[in-house]
Amino acid sequence: MRTWAILLGGLLVWAGHFFALYGIGEFAGESAASRGAVLLLTASGLAADAVLAWRLLPLSRAGEFMRWRARVALGGLALSALAIVWQALPALIG
Amino acid sequence: MRSETGFDPALYDRFPTKEPRPEGEEEELRRIWCKPKGWEYLTVVNNNYVGIYYLGTAFLFFLMAGVLALLMRAQLAAPMLEILPQATYNQVFTMHGTVMMFLFAVPAVEAAGVLLLPQMLAARDLPFPRLSAYAFWAYAVGGLCFFASIFVGLAPDGGWFMYPPLTSKAYSPGINTDFWLLGIGFIEISAIAGAIEIIVGVLRTRAPGMSLDKMPIFAWAMLVFAVMIVIAFPSIILGTLLLEIERAFNWPFFDAARGGDPLLWQHLFWFFGHPEVYIIFLPAAGMMSMIVATVAKTELVGYRLIVLAMLATGFISFGVWAHHMFTTGMPPMTTGFFSAASMAVSLPAGLQVFSWIATLAIGQRSFNAPGLFVVGSIVIFVTGGLTGVMVAMVPFDWQAHDSYFIVAHLHYVLIGGMVFPLFAAFYYWMPMVSRRALSERLAKWVFALMFAGMNIAFLPMHLAGLQGMPRRVYTYLPGQGFELPNLVSTIGAFMLGLGVLLFLIDLARNFRLAPGGGNAGNVYDGATLEWLPSELYSARSIPVVRSREPLRDDPRLAGDVAKGRHFLPGSATGHRETIVTSPLLAEPQYLQIMPGPSAWPFAAAVFTAGFFLALTVQAYSFAWVSAILAVVSILRWLWETDRPVRDEEVDIGAGIMVPTYVTGPASHGWWTMVILLVVMAMIFIMALFSLAFLASNQPAFWAPPPSMAAGLPIYFLYGAAFLAALAARPLLKRDARWPVGLFFASAFAAGSALWLDWTGWSAAGLAPQASGQGAVIAALQALQAFAVGTGLLMAAYCAARVARGLMTQPRSNTVDLAMLFLCYTAAQGLTGALFGRAIGMT
Ligand code: HEM
Repeated sequence: MRTWAILLGGLLVWAGHFFALYGIGEFAGESAASRGAVLLLTASGLAADAVLAWRLLPLSRAGEFMRWRARVALGGLALSALAIVWQALPALIG
Repeated sequence: MRSETGFDPALYDRFPTKEPRPEGEEEELRRIWCKPKGWEYLTVVNNNYVGIYYLGTAFLFFLMAGVLALLMRAQLAAPMLEILPQATYNQVFTMHGTVMMFLFAVPAVEAAGVLLLPQMLAARDLPFPRLSAYAFWAYAVGGLCFFASIFVGLAPDGGWFMYPPLTSKAYSPGINTDFWLLGIGFIEISAIAGAIEIIVGVLRTRAPGMSLDKMPIFAWAMLVFAVMIVIAFPSIILGTLLLEIERAFNWPFFDAARGGDPLLWQHLFWFFGHPEVYIIFLPAAGMMSMIVATVAKTELVGYRLIVLAMLATGFISFGVWAHHMFTTGMPPMTTGFFSAASMAVSLPAGLQVFSWIATLAIGQRSFNAPGLFVVGSIVIFVTGGLTGVMVAMVPFDWQAHDSYFIVAHLHYVLIGGMVFPLFAAFYYWMPMVSRRALSERLAKWVFALMFAGMNIAFLPMHLAGLQGMPRRVYTYLPGQGFELPNLVSTIGAFMLGLGVLLFLIDLARNFRLAPGGGNAGNVYDGATLEWLPSELYSARSIPVVRSREPLRDDPRLAGDVAKGRHFLPGSATGHRETIVTSPLLAEPQYLQIMPGPSAWPFAAAVFTAGFFLALTVQAYSFAWVSAILAVVSILRWLWETDRPVRDEEVDIGAGIMVPTYVTGPASHGWWTMVILLVVMAMIFIMALFSLAFLASNQPAFWAPPPSMAAGLPIYFLYGAAFLAALAARPLLKRDARWPVGLFFASAFAAGSALWLDWTGWSAAGLAPQASGQGAVIAALQALQAFAVGTGLLMAAYCAARVARGLMTQPRSNTVDLAMLFLCYTAAQGLTGALFGRAIGMT
């Protein structure tokens, strides 16, 4: 489970952020408060990615498999951060 | 992480073994994994046969849907033609789209998984061969009956996404729509069965040492594909169920005049429908990655990035479903989110394409048959991807929506992303299953005709679409500028058809099935394990894997494996068996004894298909008889499994001992049940989403739910049901008889809670026909009733096994599975009771 959580951490953060944004758009509608919530969620998503990356760095990389796991996980976190900012833009600048 | 399970990796150094193997070992393997004769071809369960049946049937559907495409193109070749009357055209485009998507594309890639994965992972077979056989027969029988509807003019005609209100009883009164709803719902069940098999197969039956980072990229693709099916397909199963119930019993889920909402269908459909595109694309991309590396005679560039891209696609593709609904008037902010995610999803797809191009660029390009199709696929898929980014932009989509531009886009994506890779795969892996490879000379013609035909057919459609030609029209007036693009499209479509015909001729000349050995062999010099010499039992021994391309890195491996110098060189128990390994590092854990051929999966599939077909034509008594027979067949097939094992531990090679039976979370049966429960949970979650969606969009129709406090006895009963099921497992370990009664107690407690819940809602004045809220609440109760009924059946099954002395102390997988299911049933009921009350509470 731990390895899967490490491998998929960034993507899970992305999924949480996306579905929360969808929930706001679909069920709360468009308002200043909704935009504020999007901003807050985006900041939290990025913070979660940063924390995961921070915790990943000191993890052991002994052995091929561990190195591979760390690199895929870091890639996932980078992609997640990018996609989170990108998908929040319509609410933040729109 | 040195070891995942406590297994000492130093033991791998014992392989290849040096001692001579005992006489007769190979003969025994041949006897156990024997060839079928005569009618036994209907009862085979080996992946070598089932995979070929599956792929052959999927290809048959491709041909039949292709013929429908040519009919449409003939009709549209010139304005005002009357080859297909309007109503028939509607049926033909609906069947073409539906058959291509549901009966060809998904089953074809699933079939490729069933055929290739055991060989690639060096397992003897997938872990549930009978489930594969059931999935195949259900699909084949159901699919052929569904297709036959077109010959009697009863084929569905509402388009492949079947939007209500067009498909409601008021506007589609015939049974055509029911054919689609029941047929597709049923076929999706078969797809899910296959997906469960693939997930457990990839995670638990890899060759020892094949850790996740050494897994062939196709196996990664199939893993992500199967997980996506488990998450996405429940949504369409629920959607088809609700629409069919609306049509049959007048429960207004999608009727806006009574508190339903047709947009709910669109959400349910596209939550499945868009990931479906990636569900089709990912395995094809996996094949491409395997083939590109072999064709370029080099290692795949960016293996790690491709794995990441596949995982990311699996996630992000669930955030794009509403881009099919940009024109429905969704709130602008929501539209913006979906537009952004739709663009973001092109990033991982792009990563894969760049990796293929880089691999081809640094390797030694050879334009043999698979190589040509790979390059063709990249060109076509990238074109489709670019128009995809165009339509992800909302203002452009408003212009192009429902026009021929979309028809062009979707065919570029599907043909480039799936059909061309599949043809590359046909050429590439044919020597693995056939005595002769396909002709390289003819392949050049096949490719040229298909590639040119594809572009000539679909490029002009962009133009026709931008000029304003709508999709799904059976003809058009002269003088609107549509004549030339349509004529060119038709010529291209027939060229493409000719290419496929030539391929069929090649197949007829060269394809000679060789499941029991004697295949053409590794003609393209592939480096992964499916190219080990193999027979019906797969490779003679199961190799220790030390790299991603074992055959390239260790040229002696094939010889050693064939001489039985690796794991499981013979049969350890005298039964069919394979090694179950740990999910991350693939360390040997135990020996799985596998079931052999059986007629029950076939019978179960025929009766399940009979049930759905009879429901469609409203022969209700026949439907119930079929349903009962299907359940009996499934129970009969299960009855033979999970038997006591004589040897508790066996030597699987070089003196390494493993158990022959394990229970609990380490067993592959436990994993399967958990995945099945995820499927059920997804269906339930989508039903809860439906309730929330209607509450937010149709508040005027919302009645106050019963109070939370009034639900206390219900919560208590569900809690008791959960605890009773949980307690049964440890107690059954001590005494294998009376604690089975706890399973009955659990099912009865859950049934009573359900009854109380329903009476509460009835007392609050809610009726399923009266409003969308009533309909969804009743649907939630029906789902719960299904779970409770199944739980009761499981309790009875356990009791019958106890009575027959088949429940072996102190452990049994059957008990574990019943416990898991009943606990889930209680948890689902509790969640439903709370959620229904919470939504719309004042
Ligand atoms: C073999 C070449 C093919 C040709 C010539 C072809 C042609 C067509 C035509 C003419 C239409 C109907 C357009 C309309 O009236 O709106 C259509 C629709 C469609 N096609 Fe194909 N097609 C081909 C292959 C495929 C493949 C391989 C797939 C999927 C794997 C596919 C999936 C679809 C879908 C989903 C639709 C939409 C049906 C609907 O509107 O409900 N087609 N195709």
